[in-house]
Amino acid sequence: MTAADPAGISAAVRTDVVASVRDLRVYFGTKAGIVHAVDGVDFDIRDGETLGLVGETGCGKSVTARSFLRLVPMPPGIAVSGSILFRPRSQCTACGGAGCAVCENTGRVVSDCQHCSGSGCPSCDGSGVETVDLMSISERQLRQIRGDRIAMIFQDPGKALNPALSIRDQLGEVFFTHRSQELLDRAGFGASDADGAGVLVQRHAALRTRGIERMILAVPPLRGKRNALMASADDMIVDALSETQIPNPRKVMDRYPHELSGGMKQRVMIAQALACDPDLLIADEPTTALDVTVQARIMDLISELQERHRTAVLYISHDLSLVRRIADRTAVMYAGQIAEIGESEQIFRDPQHPYTRGLIDAIPSVTHERGRLAAIAGNVPELIDPDPVCRFASRCSYAAAVCETTEPALHVADGEHMVACFLHNAPPGTPAADLPVRARSAR
Amino acid sequence: MRRAGELTANVLSNPTTLAGLIIITLMIGMALLAPWITTPNTPNPTQMPRDWGAIAVPPGSPGHPLGTTNTGGDVLYGVIWGARTSLRLSLIVVGVTVTVGVAVGSLAGYRGGRIDEILMRIVDVFLSIPELIFALAIAAVLGPSFRNIILALAVVFWVKYARIMRAQVISVKQNEYVDAARVIGDSPLRIFRKDVLPNAITPVIVQATLDMGNIVLVGATLSFIGLAEAGLAEWGVLVSEGQAGISAGRWWASTFPGLMVFLWALAFNLLGDGLRDVLDPRTETSR
Amino acid sequence: MTAEQIATSGSPAAGADNVLGVRGLEKHFPMKEGALQRVAGYIRAVDGVSFDLRRGETLGLVGESGCGKTTLGRVVAGLTDPTGGGVYFDLDDATRDRLDHLLSADALTEQESGELDRLKGAHRVDHLQGEAWRRFRRNTQMVFQDSFASLNPRHLVRDIVGRPLQVHRESGGSDLTEKVVELLELVGLGRQHLYRYPHQFSGGQRQRISIARALALDPELIVLDEPTSALDVSVQAQILNLLHELQSERNLTYLFITHDLSVVRHMADRIVVMYLGRVAETGSTADIFGHPNHPYTEALLAASPDVLEGEEESSMQALEGSVPDPARPPQGCRFHTRCPVATPICGWELDDVVLWLQDQEGLFDEIAGVERRDPFSGELTFQNEGAAATLAEAIRTGPVPDAMRTALERLEVKGRTVHIAFNPVDEVMLTRRGPGHEAACVLDELPSASS
Repeated sequence: MTAADPAGISAAVRTDVVASVRDLRVYFGTKAGIVHAVDGVDFDIRDGETLGLVGETGCGKSVTARSFLRLVPMPPGIAVSGSILFRPRSQCTACGGAGCAVCENTGRVVSDCQHCSGSGCPSCDGSGVETVDLMSISERQLRQIRGDRIAMIFQDPGKALNPALSIRDQLGEVFFTHRSQELLDRAGFGASDADGAGVLVQRHAALRTRGIERMILAVPPLRGKRNALMASADDMIVDALSETQIPNPRKVMDRYPHELSGGMKQRVMIAQALACDPDLLIADEPTTALDVTVQARIMDLISELQERHRTAVLYISHDLSLVRRIADRTAVMYAGQIAEIGESEQIFRDPQHPYTRGLIDAIPSVTHERGRLAAIAGNVPELIDPDPVCRFASRCSYAAAVCETTEPALHVADGEHMVACFLHNAPPGTPAADLPVRARSAR
Repeated sequence: MRRAGELTANVLSNPTTLAGLIIITLMIGMALLAPWITTPNTPNPTQMPRDWGAIAVPPGSPGHPLGTTNTGGDVLYGVIWGARTSLRLSLIVVGVTVTVGVAVGSLAGYRGGRIDEILMRIVDVFLSIPELIFALAIAAVLGPSFRNIILALAVVFWVKYARIMRAQVISVKQNEYVDAARVIGDSPLRIFRKDVLPNAITPVIVQATLDMGNIVLVGATLSFIGLAEAGLAEWGVLVSEGQAGISAGRWWASTFPGLMVFLWALAFNLLGDGLRDVLDPRTETSR
Repeated sequence: MTAEQIATSGSPAAGADNVLGVRGLEKHFPMKEGALQRVAGYIRAVDGVSFDLRRGETLGLVGESGCGKTTLGRVVAGLTDPTGGGVYFDLDDATRDRLDHLLSADALTEQESGELDRLKGAHRVDHLQGEAWRRFRRNTQMVFQDSFASLNPRHLVRDIVGRPLQVHRESGGSDLTEKVVELLELVGLGRQHLYRYPHQFSGGQRQRISIARALALDPELIVLDEPTSALDVSVQAQILNLLHELQSERNLTYLFITHDLSVVRHMADRIVVMYLGRVAETGSTADIFGHPNHPYTEALLAASPDVLEGEEESSMQALEGSVPDPARPPQGCRFHTRCPVATPICGWELDDVVLWLQDQEGLFDEIAGVERRDPFSGELTFQNEGAAATLAEAIRTGPVPDAMRTALERLEVKGRTVHIAFNPVDEVMLTRRGPGHEAACVLDELPSASS
């Protein structure tokens, strides 16, 4: 951790990091001015971990998540800067994905950076591992990553599933787009099937056939080949659905989204997301719209699948108690910036940032006397052209002079635990009278 | 009051809407001032004055800035008084259809049940009437006149508003603020007046504005095919009169009134679209 | 005053101990099908609920979506009439006991019948007329979940909050404006908010406006339908604090509907847990959270542990299955289809076998027909004998729950048809578990779990 690298994302070593967000900024143009929705966000997501991104309405967590796959609409979004470095994994060649010493039993390995062949260079951020910057790669490259290496599930499964497509078609689309070779292999078509029929089938598997070609495929003997292809797709779909514990998947395949309950739809969405064994799963409040008992099951499911596939998960939520249960590490966002980040248990047991403390205190629980929930005074500030000061200062009971003139950055509080607050890291040379003091209580 | 101010500002900020509004103002102005900017024909000002001495003269001829028709009708007079006729047509038809349609639709949507079913069956009957055939039938029975065109259109067009209003009322009724008003103890009639009607009426306003334009288009068509009195100072009639002369190169008798119809319809459509954008609840309500 | 006198006087005693008495409340919605709109069945949203709501207390009504709590709230608030049972307003203990006695009697004398009718006329919400109705209306108000949808977007705050006063002709003009300012200040807003529109406020502020409106007529009871579910945690804390403050200052009674257990634990004195239209368990907050007596209550608790209590792994598995169709609620105990500790007497029926079949690959498609003699017995006919035999075998030895197997009275295969009959059981009623604590479960106590 140095001044130039305050988030501690040292370039040299991190091969176990699957994604790094560096100084992400996303602004929106509105009638009232430019809204700084995300304003300088840094964090890592490690291979296989669940990182919770927590915050209230308007803190920028959803925008951050959507930026990974460039799902933020531009306009009204403007002026994006910063980078999201992603290190995709590929199947371990030594064991074919089954797990071995080479890949540390995960079945997947990173590849060497193409530019420096593993020695370290600027484009891989010195790590030597193949890295892409999600913010700057082409649309075509991004499309290859979407659904395949990075998948996303959303809050309302009813809206995220296409009501006009059957479940078979929704999932089939993923396999045809990203796993056409595997489909062909399973159906028994070798890569050597170079004759006209074979080529046609291959194109069909990759969703590249046009109407006439499809009509040709409907004629026997080509029809037989096409049906074999479809059958292998069905098998893969059934496998994906059963993994999410959907009962009787062959029947569910034929149904349409409106025929399924909320919990089932969410499972279908999870199945779709994990179909291609992604390296990173982004979950944007996936259980908010569900009943509490269904929510518990879905979260168990996500944990289970995550362990099995060794997928990293970025879990977005406004519900602290939920995130505590599911996330290894948690980042708390406020007004477009990260206030605190660290191991989940530590954050909840020993919150360092006054906002985090306020949030935890605001949750109604047995230990609070009725009518005395610690409410955070004031409102979230408008994020239009904000001053470079601490954005929480106006509502903070510890605020001091320095908080109103300087913007705090993330600094280490204890090991992994980092906070952006002057209670912990005073800028050098600040007179003591200007610093916030822990002992001080209500303003 | 505040909202009316905001609304007007929003409407005026859109250039196409503004253009539409300007054209409409000019046309309505022309219609209202007709008796003063031209010499009203006697005995019936709505009939075109015939100048038998200047038959089929081109625009720019003395006394006839826009020329005359094959039968000496002054095109300029027809254009100006035609605006008046059109205004009358659209105001009456839209006024009647909106009133009746909104009343029926509101009743059906608000009360629901048996009343809704009965009213909607009546609407279905009216919907199946083809407007053109109906207008022809009326003309056949009551004789061709512009008043009958108004009648025919009013009879056929009100159902559109009934359906729009009913759907809106049913949708608005579901809102929790209606429940809130009931919990307070307000009467159904007052709830309708204060909560349901203002929030349901917006698409009706937009549709009415669009129809002000389109009714004239339909009316012109009907009078073009002869359902209005001959010689009426009305755009459709004029286009019809000038029709014969076109092949002989006498374009002015049909073109100018035709242009007017186009402008009138266009202007109201622009205004209507602008209103729709402004009154759309999604843009209306900001967070 | 004796019950008789109260019943005949026409105006209930003010300040009675029980603001509400809900008795056997039912709200069924007809499902219409076809061009002629024939009634095909009923959605039994609320299907027999009874409880008392005492003055000054907060009763928490919890359950998941589809349990009927919102519908119940609306009936209580007078927005819709019940299809069965009744909501009784303002009963003192004596009247309430008398009412209960009359309602539960098998046969009534003519005099008793008349007395019951008078009681109903004086207290039952859907029978109230004139002044009595107006009195109920003024004293029962509601705050809705969606703060945005519950305020007319075209009305100013002054008009929204002042409307109850206008409707009941309590004041007008500048007098009204002053009263509105008072109300706004009560909820933490101010004069500067009078002439603004709802969309200019945040969610929390809009909810405050809603609360101010509810307070305008100085009601006795406020029904709160998920008032903070759509709000951020810190805003929720402000609103909950406000609600508590108002309750102590004005001796309000709250019916607090929510799905959030941590909120209800914090706010409620007593709790009613609903499942599929009926009460699963009811008791004080301490009882419900401390020693739940119904497996559904336990499941709810396991799914949402108190955040500050830490990560205690509940030994109870997350609940399987989904909520059954409210038009055809399960027999016996409605929860038996998902209950992890179901017994043979919990109400196993033919539909359970059919539902179980749906989840089995292949076998379900072989069904040719189902004939029900009554909910508990009937025949399943398959397309071939093999399928029938498979089903019988599966029930006898296979993955079907033990409790279901034990409940079988008859299981026979005749060719392609499987004859099934279960022991018929009655609907499971609430039984007393302690003072003020009732649960509708055949088990006397739950098998001990870890927490």
